[in-house]
Amino acid sequence: MTGAIAERKEEVATPQSGEPVRNRRVFAPLADIYETNERIFVLADMPGVDEQTIDITLEKNVLTIEGYTSSQTEAGLRLVHCESPEGNYRRVFLLSEEVDREGIEATVKDGVLKLVLPKSAKAMARKITVKTE
Amino acid sequence: MDFKLLPSKWLNKKNGLEVRRDDKADVSGHQTEHPVYSLQTEVNRLFDDFFRAAEMPMFGRTFSLSPFGDLDSGAITPRIDVHETDKELRIAAELPGLSENEIDVSLSRDVLTISGEKKQEREQNVKGWYRMERSYGAFSRSVPLPFEVDQDSCKATFKNGVLTVSLTKTAQAQAQTKCIPIKRE
Repeated sequence: MTGAIAERKEEVATPQSGEPVRNRRVFAPLADIYETNERIFVLADMPGVDEQTIDITLEKNVLTIEGYTSSQTEAGLRLVHCESPEGNYRRVFLLSEEVDREGIEATVKDGVLKLVLPKSAKAMARKITVKTE
Repeated sequence: MDFKLLPSKWLNKKNGLEVRRDDKADVSGHQTEHPVYSLQTEVNRLFDDFFRAAEMPMFGRTFSLSPFGDLDSGAITPRIDVHETDKELRIAAELPGLSENEIDVSLSRDVLTISGEKKQEREQNVKGWYRMERSYGAFSRSVPLPFEVDQDSCKATFKNGVLTVSLTKTAQAQAQTKCIPIKRE
């Protein structure tokens, strides 16, 4: 069942769908992907993003997750040390045929996006009982 | 002959190149260190200086040979951003996947320590992994503070995987910033 989700490596600096209007950097969030018999799970670290600022789109077999963070804009506030430059998140996954597109669920908690992709009944492994004759 | 190897001696007229060195002088204190040792000391000092300069002077970011050290090492040291105003210091740490109960923030006089443990949450009966980029485990990060902060008025909030610690500068630390007037001559 390998290859259920083929992850497309994306050149993050230049998103494939058009030029960005705003000059913000785009980062690919780190993700864990694993499967059980019935589902595939995707966990993506997107600190600073909540359910309002996350966009998930599914077009044919391309699943795109995008997250938008807000920058600190307060008068008199200046950045003195920076390890996580501000920017948005974007990552694209290719779904295989075995994923049931209708049943995809997404939740976000503590900056981690969790996608649950159920496998279609057709793709699920079935156990065949062997009878004695 | 071995004097030539010691740059520190080149400018020293007394122990200059032309002076012949004998072992008795060493014992009597003119030349206390064996030249090989002092060469070694020189080299050590050069290395020390280099690594000291390579470390960021503030906030304890250590020198890393790989520019991607943070991402690829699997280290779960949280990344921090530091903002400052005239009155306060605001430290934001990225801690996705943790809840506020799993994070410890402590402040000793001039060091802020953020620690905790990220536990791996996963379903039962995992059949296979396609990708494992996130990391789990215990972490601790200490941030040296560049000035004194008011111990009682520190606040920490946690939202969407980002911990924000606000530290108020003491009146004394605020007063230390002083405008120096420039006179025209």
